[in-house]
Amino acid sequence: SSPAQERGGSNSFNHEALTLKYKLDNQFELVFVVGFQKILTLTYVDKLIDDVHKEFRDKYRNEFQQKGALGLLNGTFDFKDDFLRLLREAEESSKVRAPTVMKTFEQSSKSQKTIKCMIETRGEKPKEKAKNKKNKGAKKEGSEAISASGKAAAGEKQPPAAGDREELTKDEILQKNREEFFKRHMKAGEKASKSPKPEAQKEKGKKPRVWDLGNSNAKVLDYSNSTTNGSSEACPAEEFDPDTALGDRNREPGRLYDLEYESDEEAEEEKVVQNPSKPSARKGGLGGMFGMLKGLVGSKSLTREDMDPVLEKMKDHLIAKNVAAEIAVQLCESVAKKLEGKVMGTFTTVTSTVKQALQEALVQILQPQRRVDVLRDVMDAQRQRRPYVVTFCGVNGVGKSTNLAKISFWLIENGFSVLIAACDTFRAGAVEQLRTHTRRLNALRPPESRGGRTMVQLYEKGYGKDAAGIAMEAISYARNQGFDVVLVDTAGRMQDNAPLMTALAKLIAVNAPDLVLFVGEALVGNEAVDQLVKFNKALADHSMAQTPRLIDGIVLTKFDTIDDKVGAAISMTYITSKPIVFVGTGQTYCDLRSLNAKAVVAALMKA
Amino acid sequence: MAAGGLEPYLDSLRRELRAPDPAVLSVLLALLAVALTLLIWRFIQGRKSSRKAVLLLGLCDAGKTLLFARLLTGKYRDTQTSITDSSAIYRVSNDKSANVTLIDLPGHESLRLQFLERFKAAARAIVFVVDSVAFQREVKDVAEFLYQVLVDSTVLKNAPALLIACNKQDVTMAKSAKLIQQQLEKELNTLRVTRSAAPTSLDGSAAGGPTQLGKKGKDFDFSQLPMKVEFVECSARGSKGEDGDADFEGLEKWLAKIA
Repeated sequence: SSPAQERGGSNSFNHEALTLKYKLDNQFELVFVVGFQKILTLTYVDKLIDDVHKEFRDKYRNEFQQKGALGLLNGTFDFKDDFLRLLREAEESSKVRAPTVMKTFEQSSKSQKTIKCMIETRGEKPKEKAKNKKNKGAKKEGSEAISASGKAAAGEKQPPAAGDREELTKDEILQKNREEFFKRHMKAGEKASKSPKPEAQKEKGKKPRVWDLGNSNAKVLDYSNSTTNGSSEACPAEEFDPDTALGDRNREPGRLYDLEYESDEEAEEEKVVQNPSKPSARKGGLGGMFGMLKGLVGSKSLTREDMDPVLEKMKDHLIAKNVAAEIAVQLCESVAKKLEGKVMGTFTTVTSTVKQALQEALVQILQPQRRVDVLRDVMDAQRQRRPYVVTFCGVNGVGKSTNLAKISFWLIENGFSVLIAACDTFRAGAVEQLRTHTRRLNALRPPESRGGRTMVQLYEKGYGKDAAGIAMEAISYARNQGFDVVLVDTAGRMQDNAPLMTALAKLIAVNAPDLVLFVGEALVGNEAVDQLVKFNKALADHSMAQTPRLIDGIVLTKFDTIDDKVGAAISMTYITSKPIVFVGTGQTYCDLRSLNAKAVVAALMKA
Repeated sequence: MAAGGLEPYLDSLRRELRAPDPAVLSVLLALLAVALTLLIWRFIQGRKSSRKAVLLLGLCDAGKTLLFARLLTGKYRDTQTSITDSSAIYRVSNDKSANVTLIDLPGHESLRLQFLERFKAAARAIVFVVDSVAFQREVKDVAEFLYQVLVDSTVLKNAPALLIACNKQDVTMAKSAKLIQQQLEKELNTLRVTRSAAPTSLDGSAAGGPTQLGKKGKDFDFSQLPMKVEFVECSARGSKGEDGDADFEGLEKWLAKIA
């Protein structure tokens, strides 16, 4: 029952044992859904849905166009008989192809061959091979003739077929090589009449079988070209033009020059590419103008071809703004699907319609399911006399500890006492960092101003211990001492590091925190997709419960380092459909913000 | 000094009127005509955009679309989760020739704010539909959405009349309107504290809006809002099931009052 989200691409949806395929009609705003059991692979479903769509639309076109919502409510859409008929037709059409009948022996091509040609004898083989060679020779002649007329590909070496090698002795090998060498020198083609010669010279009778690797005589095994190893007569001086080889005569010998920015060549290439498209543009000029006018006046429905150039540009624009590439592609796909066939209003261009739709899609992505209201949930936990546990996870160096300090400052400002659990037992200085933050926060908000109780405390057990154990002890300590919130800081880990991911999943599964926050930096590009997918997967795989605890929210850090390349926000919320709870914009305690979807989308769409 | 400055202009004007120079006169007439057209156009615009819409808001599965169908046609319809808005003209029953445009908006979390943005300026009244059966479970989400509607700047400026329709009263476990009102007031009371304490938004505007809901210092009460708020019980399905009529006289009376 979830409505069509902005997840483009496939038009099918799996739920338990059923598969649902859907089709959108954007002109009349209809959705056609077909459901069938997943185990049946029905081939006619797509055709059926298209037929139903066409027939339904044609039958009730009047109702849609004229009466609007009231018409839809009042009208009776008695489509059952039509649907059953279409279903029957579709089923029959998928059965039409009769199973292929096996060919009888007379019909097969094997019966056409004479018995004689199928017998293989020793003597027969070379004849066939000679035939092959003759064919190849003919081909060679032909190709050489062609090459002689034009620029010669002088090195037209023809590698001998592998089978022939066994038949030739070393004399023949040498001769063959000499032939090729001469050929390479002369521009004109050499008659290939030499090729059957080695065959004629072959000794009759039994010859020792030459194995590929068995003959220890190195000379026989040496198939390398004798011309390459140093004999001067074998390698005469080529006609060598020093100018073309050295290039610029005027350069200083020995100096390493910088890269030159070759913008001219690029411009030339662009011109070359554009030229073929220009004549078509000119041809379509008049028709294009009328099309544009028609588009301005309205009642023009959007087709894929209209939208493609605009969507390409939008996709590149999004990627330039640091949205992950696959997500940009999927977004543009879903926008195309949503707009296909839609009738544009008056005075709207294709560009503006597509931009509008893309903007709506982006806003919708950034406002996912439920807003995470931390303060509200902390109050609930307070009422139940238990601490509210938040866990921070993420890869190395994204700002977990810094933002943890900022969030604890914010919580203190709102009157909640915080216990920081130092579960980063690996990184050198992690515990000291948190201790410094604790001291600073307590100095900023001294106990005297808060009714005599210390607002922030650090729970640590040094380095090298098990993080999940420390977290558990910290939570029970907080419950005993009456702390409102527990913030658990974990070590940064790469998403590919399986043992560390297992450890993190274990920490979360065992301690069941109220909120699992993934900390990601806004500078990340396509990596965001990989990180989030792998983190979620690890949490799901190692959880023992029925419904595994996945990432509940995202903290987007280092937002002040990007000016308007805010695409990472889109990538992250698209992958997880969880909201961005906090945004970090600096390294002081006050640099904590909440996300404003409209501002982010405006920054994204800004040219 | 000012009078002295004006004198020559007045003199020149008087001279013009007495001995009309065609060019200047035509320019003056043209300007007058343009000004008149502008005035008339704005007048008509104002007429057209007088807010005539009644929005049906609420969470998913609250019963908005069924209420919409019942109000317009009186018949029961099987409905699906809405993914887009539907609007139609509703004529009030006592043929007062008064009519309002009923607009049914989707309740899904990712769509509702978008559609609210689109239609909030045209709203003369808002019907907030609440599922009385699932209310206990959903009270936080209901309050959150209601809070977002109430602190919206356009809504505060126009102050459309608000009716909270406690739907699904045909089920025995449904909560009464009084209870729902109390719970909502308590929840909104907490929400306005937590929302205004949330970190400020990226572009500087406060998360919960610059306005405080209700009066400071006192517990939140619906009477503290700038608009008229009423609670009514109704049942879109009706006590007699699908064939019978819907049970919403309170809603209809309220709509008649609004129109």
